[in-house]
Amino acid sequence: METAVTIVTFRDIFQDEAAKKSKFTDEFRDLCARILLDKQDMASLGLKDGQKVRVQSEVGSVIVIAKTSDDDPHPGLAFMTFSPWSNQLAGEDACMSGARIAAKLSPSDESVTQISELLQRMRAQGIST
Amino acid sequence: MAICTGCSLLCEDIELTVKDGDISHVRNLCRKGHGHYQALLTERARPMIDGKEVALDQAIAKAAEVLHSSKAPLLCGWSNATLEAQTAGMSIAKKLGASICDTSPPCLGALMERIISGRIPTCTLDDVRNFADVSVFWGSDPSNSHPRHLSRFSYYPRGEKRQKSYEEERTCIAVDVRKSATATLCSNYYFRMQPGGDGEFIESILATLDGRIPKFGDKKRMIELGTILRKAEYGVIFPGIGMLYSLQNRLELFETLLAKLNEIATFKVVPMVERFNSRGFYQLLHAPGNSLAAAAKGCDAALVVGSDPLAELPLATARALARVPLIVIDPHRSLTVDAASVVIPSAISGMEAGGTALRTDGVKISFEPIIESDLPSDEQILAKILEAI
Repeated sequence: METAVTIVTFRDIFQDEAAKKSKFTDEFRDLCARILLDKQDMASLGLKDGQKVRVQSEVGSVIVIAKTSDDDPHPGLAFMTFSPWSNQLAGEDACMSGARIAAKLSPSDESVTQISELLQRMRAQGIST
Repeated sequence: MAICTGCSLLCEDIELTVKDGDISHVRNLCRKGHGHYQALLTERARPMIDGKEVALDQAIAKAAEVLHSSKAPLLCGWSNATLEAQTAGMSIAKKLGASICDTSPPCLGALMERIISGRIPTCTLDDVRNFADVSVFWGSDPSNSHPRHLSRFSYYPRGEKRQKSYEEERTCIAVDVRKSATATLCSNYYFRMQPGGDGEFIESILATLDGRIPKFGDKKRMIELGTILRKAEYGVIFPGIGMLYSLQNRLELFETLLAKLNEIATFKVVPMVERFNSRGFYQLLHAPGNSLAAAAKGCDAALVVGSDPLAELPLATARALARVPLIVIDPHRSLTVDAASVVIPSAISGMEAGGTALRTDGVKISFEPIIESDLPSDEQILAKILEAI
C-alpha cells in the first residue's frame, strides 16, 4: 500500500519551544517525527491516528507518526514541521519552512526514526580530525 | 527590562527578577521565549576536542590551529550572533581568505537584497503599529514563528493613527497553503492556495487591481481581496519563506505587485527572518548569492557560530559539512556540537552577554547581560581566535 504526496513544511511554536530547551528529548522527537495527512489519504493507507508511516523521498526516508489533519480537505498534500526529520527528505534547494517535498508513504511497523540515527546518517560519509 | 533573543522580534519588555544570580520570575515572554529562557539551564555545551573535555583555552587554541592549517575554511552560521560577533567573524574571514555565509535559505537572501537596496519599499514594525490598517501574512505564520508579532505590532495594538485597532481599523489577511494559526485568526480573510501557486495568485491580484477578471482562484474572493487592498491606507505585506520559495526566480512579479499597489495606496514589505540577528548579517555582509550548499562542498574545515546547521539544512548540505572538521561556538548542545571536532561553549547573547542586533525590520536593538556568567561571549572567543591565527 503506497500513496504519493507533496509534503509542505511549517513552523510550530511548541516544537520551537522544545528545540530551544533541547533537541535530544522525547518531547522534541514527538513534535517533529509526525506527518499530518488528509482524512482520505489516511483511509487509503489504512492508517489510524498515531500509527507509523514510512516517508520516502528521492533523498532519504524516515519513519514518523501519522495524524489526521484538522485543516480543510487537502488530499495529496501532507504537512510536516520543519525539523531534522523533514530535512532528511528535503532536496538541496529546500528553503526551511515552506519547502515542498515529493514523497511516497507506506504503513510501517518499524520504530520511529531517532535523532541519533539522523545524526549517524549525516556523518556516514564524515571524517574526524 | 530585558531583551528576548528568542526570535528576530527582539522583544524589549521582558520583566524579570534575578535572585542569587538566577532568574526567579519572568513576565511577557511568549512560549518560544519561555523555551529560550529555560535553555539557560538545559544542555549547556562543554569545551571539547575530539569528544574529550578540555579547558576552554585549549579548545580555542585548537580551533585556531585547525582554521590556520585549513586551505579552504568556511565560517558559517551567524544568525544567532550579535553584530559585534558577526563583525569579528568577518575579520577572521578576511585574514584567512575564508568563505563566510549564514544558514538562511537563498530565497530569503534575494528578498533581503531587494529590501536593503531599496528596490522593495519597507518600514519599521513601529510604523506598522502606528499606521498600518491592512496586514497581509503571505506564506508566513507569525503566531508560530514570531509569536508576539500580532500583539506588539501588526494586529492587536493601538497605534498613533490606529486607536480603534483590530476592533475596527485593522484588517488581517492570510495567504497560505494550510490553515495556520494566523490564518485561523484572520478567519474571513484566509485565502488558500495550492503549493507553488504564489505566482498565479499575484497575477490574479494584479488582474483585480486593473479591473479585469482574475484567471486563477475563486474569482469572487479574489475580487474581494483586490477591493480590500485597493481601499487600504497603509498596507504591509509580511512574506514568509513559503512564498519566497514558491516564487524562486520570479521575485520581480512580487515587485510588480508592490509597484501596482503603491500606485493606489501606501504598501510596504517587512521581512520575517527567524533568528535574532539574521537581518544584521544580511546588512553587514550584503553579499547575495552566497550559497552555503556550494561553500559546504568546497570547504576542508568549518567554524560554526550561533547556528545548528546539521539540524537545519537539507541532508546533502549537512553531510557535506559533517565530512570536515567542525569547530562549533555555541552555548548549547546541538546536532552540530555532537558532530564537532572542537566545541567552544559561549555565553548566551541577551542573557549572559550583551551586544547589539538588528530586529527583523532593521531597527538596531542593544542589550546588556542580565546574569553573570564565567563563559566568554561569541565576540570574545572570536577575538582570541583572530589573535591566534
